[in-house]
Amino acid sequence: MLKRDRWLSWVFLAPAMILVGVLMYYPMIGTVIESLHSTSFINPKPQFVGLDLYRRVFASSEFSAIVWNSCVWTIGVVLLQNTLGFLTALLLNQRLPTTGLMRSLILLPWVLPGVVGAILWRFMYDPQLGLINSFLIRLGLTDQGPAWLAGASTAMAASIIAAVWKGFPFSTVVYLAALQNVDQEQIEAAIMDGAGRLRRLLYVVLPAMREVIVTNLLLTTILTFNYFDMIWVLTRGGPQNATHIFPTKIYELGFGQFRFGEAATYGVFSIVVLALLLALYFLVQHSAVRRLVSAR
Amino acid sequence: MRVSLRSRVLLTLLQIVLAGIILLPFFWMVSVSLKPATEPFSIPARLWPQHPTLDNYFTAFRPEFRTYFLNSLVVSLSTVAITVTLGLLAAYSFTRNQSKALLALMTLVIGAQMFPSSAIIIPIYRLMKGADLLNTYASLIIAYVTITLPVAIWMLRGFLARLPIELDEAAALDGAGPLRAFFLIIVPLSSPGLVATAVFVLIITWQEFLFALSFTSTKDMRTLPVGMNDFIGQYGIRYGELMASSVLVSLPVVAVFFLLQRQFVAGLTAGAVKG
Amino acid sequence: MREKILLVATLALITSASASAADLTLKFWDNQQTESGLSQYQQEAVKSFEAANPGIHVEVTTVPYPEYQQRLLTAVQGGNAPDVSTIDQIWVAAFAQAGAIEPLDDQAKTAGITSDAFFPGAWASANYGSHLWGVPFNVDVWSFSFYNADLLKAANVDPESLATFEGLKAAGAKLTTNGKFGLGLFAHKGEDTVVVLDSFIFSNGGKVLNDDGSCGLTSAPSIGALKYLQSIAPYAPKGVANADSGSMRELFLNGSLAVEFWPALEQPTLQKSKLNWDFVDGTAPEGKKPVGTYGGWNLVVYKSSPNKEAAWKFIQFLTRPDVNGKVVDLIPANVKAADAFLRANRKGPDRILAQLNNAAPRPLSPRYLEVSDIEVTLAQDVYGGMDASEAAAKACKAIDALK
Repeated sequence: MLKRDRWLSWVFLAPAMILVGVLMYYPMIGTVIESLHSTSFINPKPQFVGLDLYRRVFASSEFSAIVWNSCVWTIGVVLLQNTLGFLTALLLNQRLPTTGLMRSLILLPWVLPGVVGAILWRFMYDPQLGLINSFLIRLGLTDQGPAWLAGASTAMAASIIAAVWKGFPFSTVVYLAALQNVDQEQIEAAIMDGAGRLRRLLYVVLPAMREVIVTNLLLTTILTFNYFDMIWVLTRGGPQNATHIFPTKIYELGFGQFRFGEAATYGVFSIVVLALLLALYFLVQHSAVRRLVSAR
Repeated sequence: MRVSLRSRVLLTLLQIVLAGIILLPFFWMVSVSLKPATEPFSIPARLWPQHPTLDNYFTAFRPEFRTYFLNSLVVSLSTVAITVTLGLLAAYSFTRNQSKALLALMTLVIGAQMFPSSAIIIPIYRLMKGADLLNTYASLIIAYVTITLPVAIWMLRGFLARLPIELDEAAALDGAGPLRAFFLIIVPLSSPGLVATAVFVLIITWQEFLFALSFTSTKDMRTLPVGMNDFIGQYGIRYGELMASSVLVSLPVVAVFFLLQRQFVAGLTAGAVKG
Repeated sequence: MREKILLVATLALITSASASAADLTLKFWDNQQTESGLSQYQQEAVKSFEAANPGIHVEVTTVPYPEYQQRLLTAVQGGNAPDVSTIDQIWVAAFAQAGAIEPLDDQAKTAGITSDAFFPGAWASANYGSHLWGVPFNVDVWSFSFYNADLLKAANVDPESLATFEGLKAAGAKLTTNGKFGLGLFAHKGEDTVVVLDSFIFSNGGKVLNDDGSCGLTSAPSIGALKYLQSIAPYAPKGVANADSGSMRELFLNGSLAVEFWPALEQPTLQKSKLNWDFVDGTAPEGKKPVGTYGGWNLVVYKSSPNKEAAWKFIQFLTRPDVNGKVVDLIPANVKAADAFLRANRKGPDRILAQLNNAAPRPLSPRYLEVSDIEVTLAQDVYGGMDASEAAAKACKAIDALK
């Protein structure tokens, strides 16, 4: 694009800017303002209370639980999804008779509508009627099977597993594509140097995929942090807040209990945490782009 | 890469195990959908119902289903068309103009992904009400375009960055203005990326629940995910019908994905960062 | 002269008729009834209303239960409320406090609608402050103890024994063997958990909120009920903290559960099954009468509605004794209609009526939803083994903190 046509790039960006500005930033600002007032459904005349709500939310026992749960949930799901995704990508990168079929099947869990997947897993986890315990019983490992979603210690792990099943195929496809783009010359050079498979993986393949890995880690972090459907359907945040994360808490406060002000406060907190992660993401992207541009 | 026969057999088995893990819940979904309402669930769960029946599918495929399906179709396809277009334009603008200001704005646009939907949905609802768009296709399409644009731009930026600037310059030398260059050269070359983004947006919008729930009120405007709530009563879930409905809701995206998956994976391949 | 008057009168009649022929659309929202065929009755009722009231067109929107609360709230907050709708009894106080609905005292007085036509708990739930905010539409009581007659016989349990605390406990012990479960207790995050918990507390003489608004959970009868529930928890299927009434129903239907706690609404489902079932009127300590918890829906008019008069006409129509029974799948709130409905559709109508007259509503507070959340935590604590007095104290602390 010639320099004189640069203004066009602003025109091209304009629709996206306007939509996101009006429909996301404007409401978000409204939400921030709301969090500074004693807003609630039953209080038709909210008053300015400054940071009072923030102080109260901080002081509440649930807040630390929710921050902790959100971190455990996000890190757990992201690490498992990316690890499993990477390993699966390695597996699907092999030329085997079943590979073609596998590459078609692999995205199925991700394609399934979120609410459907969650309801399915909830039923599979049912202590008496569910598939998982029935397997355990048939295999003779136990005669009743644990109540996966009812125990504070098992509920989070069970939710993480369901979410990993649902989302890992996306990482698989991303990593598979990246694997296939690793420079063959470098690999052949490594083979000639006598490097075994593991060494090739660690010293040639992984470094070459570094940016894709970081990008995918950050993208899955953002998506997982805000992932509402799975936990809401599985446990509603229970038992005893053991699986409550930011999105479920916000929904429960706002729509379940009509407490808009506090929902707004939690909303702001959730963005702050994510903003930190996003800043990290763009630092990496920016340096990557810089490198690409300077390489031209 | 020469791999021993033993390894090949082992890895193939591993792939089959993987297929099992992926497909087991789907199998269960179908199994429950074939169970008649009069047959209670058993302990331990049976893998296959005693008297499988297609009744649940007939119930799930009620007249409302066709309405919900049409609504989902209209909303999703419109969103895909608009998002891909606007996203491509926005991504293109950035790859060709690297100013810091544009980068900052782009960051803000993509950054909007992190807003929690349940926190902002009521203000958005009020906006829609003010514009008199509630309970119309427009409200959903606008909302969906907004929430998928950040991700679409992110994906398309990756694809477009692969296309060298020399192409533009060659087109300019030939006398083509930037718009012509865009349509005649960039669009065709980025088509794998367009397909990948389109499929991605389709999958997201097809299953979106929160906005669809909030913006539609009458039955004739509901989309498929919202429609599934018909089987969840105040006390108790009609599992057989719900699972049958789930199968029906999932089939279209699964079918689309199977048809387009070669392009989809190729699109992601084309967009991946080269070593 | 007479002809002139006749002419003027005719003209007046014609113009007034054409003025009232100006169609207005009444937006009515209702909880989607799960009984099939019911929406058909509702539509027929609407048609006869429209026939009797030319000029009013009723637009019915039925909303599935899981989304009703969210949709209604979004609509009210977004300035898009319907003209008239059913709302859950427990939302009345909040909606009234928020200024979303119209007080209906004058209309009710003029129409002669008074408390005697309705069950006491239902009428109470429509009042808040010193005003009437809605008209009771339908009710039900949590809970009846539905039992599987065959399982009880096989375990040598006398069904009548289920009506006392001691008897229920003994029955639970006898019935929980061979992979079967005795008592369908549940404690997931949901209102069904709270109503069952409340009914045990009420039956033991305890209260959730005292009349002065203070927390009643730390009283001796309340704690006694909690201790009792803790003692029968072993006889429930595993996983109480995530189980709901629906999962109990599935277990009851497949013959693994002997006693389930459900409102009268459960009967049609049981009638369709192959089970040999009956029910007992709730559980209370020996010598006391069981007190159930009211549930149900009231009809309200929204402040933002431009058609308040038409809305009121519609409410009067729906709550008429001859119409009420046909358009609900819970029990009509109107006593006469309820009597007819129960005799026609339910087993044991007299027992159900007795429970209805003896039940208590949940606390009528604009912050009830938060109280409910605290009660769920209480239930989960108690079933999880926490000391009952400690759990009650914790709950009361949280409730008292709600300013």
